[in-house]
Amino acid sequence: MASTGAVPFWRAAGMTYITYSNICANLVRNCLKEPHKTEALSREKVHFSLSKWAEGKPEKPTIRSDTPDH
Amino acid sequence: MAMAAAMRREGKRLAPLISSQPINNTLRSSLTSPLDQTSIGGARSISTQIVRNRMKSVKNIQKITKAMKMVAASKLRAVQTRAENSRGLWQPFTALLGDAASVDVKKNVVVTVSSDKGLCGGINSTSVKISRVLSKLNSGPDKETKYVILGEKAKAQLIRDSKKDIALSLTELQKNPLNYTQVSVLADDILKNVEYDALRIVFNKFHSVVQFIPTVSTVLSPEIVEREAEAGGKLGELDSYEIEGGETKSEVLQNLSEFQFSCVMFNAVLENACSEQGARMSAMDSSSRNAGDMLDRLTLTYNRTRQASITTELIEIISGASALTG
Repeated sequence: MASTGAVPFWRAAGMTYITYSNICANLVRNCLKEPHKTEALSREKVHFSLSKWAEGKPEKPTIRSDTPDH
Repeated sequence: MAMAAAMRREGKRLAPLISSQPINNTLRSSLTSPLDQTSIGGARSISTQIVRNRMKSVKNIQKITKAMKMVAASKLRAVQTRAENSRGLWQPFTALLGDAASVDVKKNVVVTVSSDKGLCGGINSTSVKISRVLSKLNSGPDKETKYVILGEKAKAQLIRDSKKDIALSLTELQKNPLNYTQVSVLADDILKNVEYDALRIVFNKFHSVVQFIPTVSTVLSPEIVEREAEAGGKLGELDSYEIEGGETKSEVLQNLSEFQFSCVMFNAVLENACSEQGARMSAMDSSSRNAGDMLDRLTLTYNRTRQASITTELIEIISGASALTG
């Protein structure tokens, strides 16, 4: 980026476009009325386990999840 | 004639005795070893007990695989419409940017999409094979390929020989039903953790219930898109579009490239899930059929053994009786 003035606020804060659009989508879903709202929010659940590898060895996996782990 | 009548009478009288297993077994065990027995000709035969146990377990396996097939069929129906609808997400990108599969870049990242659970036929092996081929195609001086692995099955296979090239591995994706938010968080993690010039996503495209086509989708990083745009072709026409909402072309390209990756990943994960269910359905179906064949063969063996043992008993009794009567 040559001119930093042209960078939108969210990219300057370290977010990618994907994170930005997800937050916007979440805001739109929260605007819904009740029965549709819980349906739509249930479509947003995230759960997966990620582990980075260094030199052929996996590090401890981190779980990225909306639901608390049982 | 009288002899035959006598045999028949003896046979009818003794038949209920013979057909109840415990007596047979104690009789047999008192004569020979419990597992196999030598008949008069010296040939060995398996005890009916073993064959019966085998038949019971094969029948249970057949029931289980049939049930798994039904479950996979119902899951397939649920995911299939979603996968077909998600194809519309990346088609505009391909129309705009083209699909540059043969682009020559320094840093390749191969994203392999596979399943967590097994018993789904050969789809995971084909994905891993294609990933390996891609990595070999892209090898050369100062070119490197890294793997990002989704799913346990590809991880198990790629660990064996490409441990050094793995950058990230992700598992437990199917705990909640697949949705765009999850895939986009995943895509975001990949973008943040791995440096790439081109991302090649390897997955099984769902063509029909029995046919799955291994596919590679390429997403280029914004810098490479600019480089290719200068070289002309489809990307060179990008300048003729009027773009709103971003001042510089490189910023727009960056947003587009990230969003393209997220959409292509979403489609890839859904199609692979579809293919997994379809492959599981056909694998379980052929497994039930094999179990049925095995059951038929075992039934024949069982009947043969049963009849042979009855005949042996009869012969012994009759010959004993005839020896007594003189």
